[in-house]
Amino acid sequence: MTHEEFESIAALDAIGAATAEEAARLGGHLASCESCRRTRDEFAEAATLLAQDLDPVSPPPEVREHVIETIAEEDEIEDNVVDAGRRFINPWWLATAATLFLALWGWREFGMRVARENMRTQQAQIEQLKTENALLHDQKEKLAVEMSALAAPSTRAIALAGQQISPSASARVFLEPEKRRAIVFFQNLPSNPKDKSYQLWIIRADQPNPMSAGVFDVADNGNASIVIENLPLSTEMKALAVTLEPRGGAEQPTNTNFYLMGNS
Amino acid sequence: METTHEALLPSVARGDTVAFESLYDRYSSTLYALLLRILSNPEDAQEVLQETFVKAWTNAKMFDSSRGSEIAWLISIARSRGIDKLRSRKIRGDRENDAGREISIHSSFVESTTGADKAVQSQESGAVRSALSELPEAQRVALELAYFEGFSQSEIAAKLGEPLGTIKTRMQLGMKKLRERLQAFK
Repeated sequence: MTHEEFESIAALDAIGAATAEEAARLGGHLASCESCRRTRDEFAEAATLLAQDLDPVSPPPEVREHVIETIAEEDEIEDNVVDAGRRFINPWWLATAATLFLALWGWREFGMRVARENMRTQQAQIEQLKTENALLHDQKEKLAVEMSALAAPSTRAIALAGQQISPSASARVFLEPEKRRAIVFFQNLPSNPKDKSYQLWIIRADQPNPMSAGVFDVADNGNASIVIENLPLSTEMKALAVTLEPRGGAEQPTNTNFYLMGNS
Repeated sequence: METTHEALLPSVARGDTVAFESLYDRYSSTLYALLLRILSNPEDAQEVLQETFVKAWTNAKMFDSSRGSEIAWLISIARSRGIDKLRSRKIRGDRENDAGREISIHSSFVESTTGADKAVQSQESGAVRSALSELPEAQRVALELAYFEGFSQSEIAAKLGEPLGTIKTRMQLGMKKLRERLQAFK
């Protein structure tokens, strides 16, 4: 818009006839245009000629009295506020205010520190929950496999019996020949030392040496379970046995202390 | 015009109550006439007149003589408050009923200003009337509907049965003429 166009809007604005949109545009322009501001002021002054053209009418005298009384009251209130302000600004109040400010500042800092600590704790909890969630996910997957294996019509169960070193122990192997997969549930095995692992061995008919089927740990309740993938054909498996081996397992059994044993 | 008076608002801004009383005596009749014209109701007009002077007392420091005259500043306050009151009470519908009362208010005008002020006012009033008398009737009517009644452009167009563009042009031309006349006074 040109300055002339803004002047035309200013003329309307001076008598309150500019639309809201025009008034907003004009306001924006006036903020940066000294010349148009002056023009707007001149129009505003000119508009008052309409009022000055009216015949003056004296208001009733009591209006004057009321106005004078009102401003006297306003003065009194203002004086009281000023007095209160002065009282507030004495050194004692300043010291109190400063102390209060420092206390509030310190409290705020403390609050922020606590909030940061809480945030760190919550972050750690989130990480822990993520880990637990991953574990639960794994367990769910494992359970799904176990359920599938147990429910399959071709699944065959093999029992392993506790040997001399752990007579009360037992295990059940659920074998899925078609998938060459097995799930083994162990019960009542003594918990293994931290530097040892239990290891399950498959004794094959076609090979002289046992074959490792996996390692596992037993908790205090004596129970454990493992899933064995890529099993040899069932016709090639002769027996299953469990020994306690160095942590992580061994290529071949390091001892003949069988905890469990059973024929397949 | 008001420039012939000694400005009072700077003294009022310093808390001078005597200057404030002089301010009231000098301008209250002009402002009251304006408020009666807008509100057509003496009680409302007196209430807004009081508010106007109280605001003048509290806001006198905001008056900037480089932007306009003392009387223009006071008229702007009174007009703005008067239109607000008019809109808030929605008394437009009652205005026709009050028309007869307005005439009696004007006829009961009581002169209360001093001799010197009276002479100045008479001189000023003559100059103002001269400026307004030069306006074509159609322009003046459109300006008065906006200024005293608070009507919008479209309301005025509807009221007068004229196209909106015509009304807009009339008001702009009328205001430009008033501005030119004002500059000529100075």
